[in-house]
Amino acid sequence: MHELSIALGIVEAVAEELDHRGGGRVRAVHLRLGALSGVAKEALKSAYPLACEGSPLEGSSLVVLDVAESRDLLVTAMELDE
Amino acid sequence: MTLKTRLVEVRANALKQNDLAARALRRRFEEAGTFVVSLVSSPGAGKTTLLEATLRRLRERRRVAALVGDLATDNDARRLSRAEVPVRQISTGTMCHLEAAMVERALDDLAPGPLDFLFIENVGNLVCPASFDLGEALRAVLFSVTEGDDKPLKYPTIFNSSDVAVLTKLDLLGAGDFDLAQARANIEAVRPGMEVLELSTRSGAGWERWIDFLESKRNQAEEGTR
Repeated sequence: MHELSIALGIVEAVAEELDHRGGGRVRAVHLRLGALSGVAKEALKSAYPLACEGSPLEGSSLVVLDVAESRDLLVTAMELDE
Repeated sequence: MTLKTRLVEVRANALKQNDLAARALRRRFEEAGTFVVSLVSSPGAGKTTLLEATLRRLRERRRVAALVGDLATDNDARRLSRAEVPVRQISTGTMCHLEAAMVERALDDLAPGPLDFLFIENVGNLVCPASFDLGEALRAVLFSVTEGDDKPLKYPTIFNSSDVAVLTKLDLLGAGDFDLAQARANIEAVRPGMEVLELSTRSGAGWERWIDFLESKRNQAEEGTR
């Protein structure tokens, strides 16, 4: 249930990064998701589009890389149209 | 001109905003000499009962206050205010956990003045609160003997993110099938070396140890920042 908060955190972090780079259109965001993070992948993926609404990330997809034995919730890359 | 899609490396924590807010809170608490304890558990494990009795015990010699999170109602705040210390309810609406920014707002509203201890009672939930740092110095996970003794195995993340486990309602041991030795073993399995306190607020068993534990942790923290 807290996955919406996490998704909003991802959007905020990426939007900030995008701002530093002077903008662009985000196609996809890559996330390292640790199995011990307490975050459910499916719930996060369904919350993601909602969190993106009205942000520069609207329409982007979330690519999740599962990592065992880790608490990571780390954005590692974004796919940008330039 | 055609658009090209490029992969750009980023390194950003999804919880960055909360972590930043929590870090600021932690610094503020350290500077003020306030030892902050958060309580997490499933609904009904006895957080509010433990907290009310703790506030009553500590207020004689310590400046204490509490923030308490629930989805709805201010029942807990009204109950805790019987302990005659500053208390503020945080109503989260539909949110299943507290975040650092909510703690900051509630604390600013409450404006309790200088404190020795601040207690934060999280929303009753063994899943979501695990991910959100609230700037606390100590996180206690409560676990009652009326629950299954395999709770630690089912919810390892909350046990892993907590500093101490408190087994509550010890007076009810034997009322169900709860196996105390098994519960201790299960905690040890998910968090080796975790300190476990066992108490009953109704009978008073284990209470001296709980209060001593809080005081000694506070002293340690104070020595650490000196």
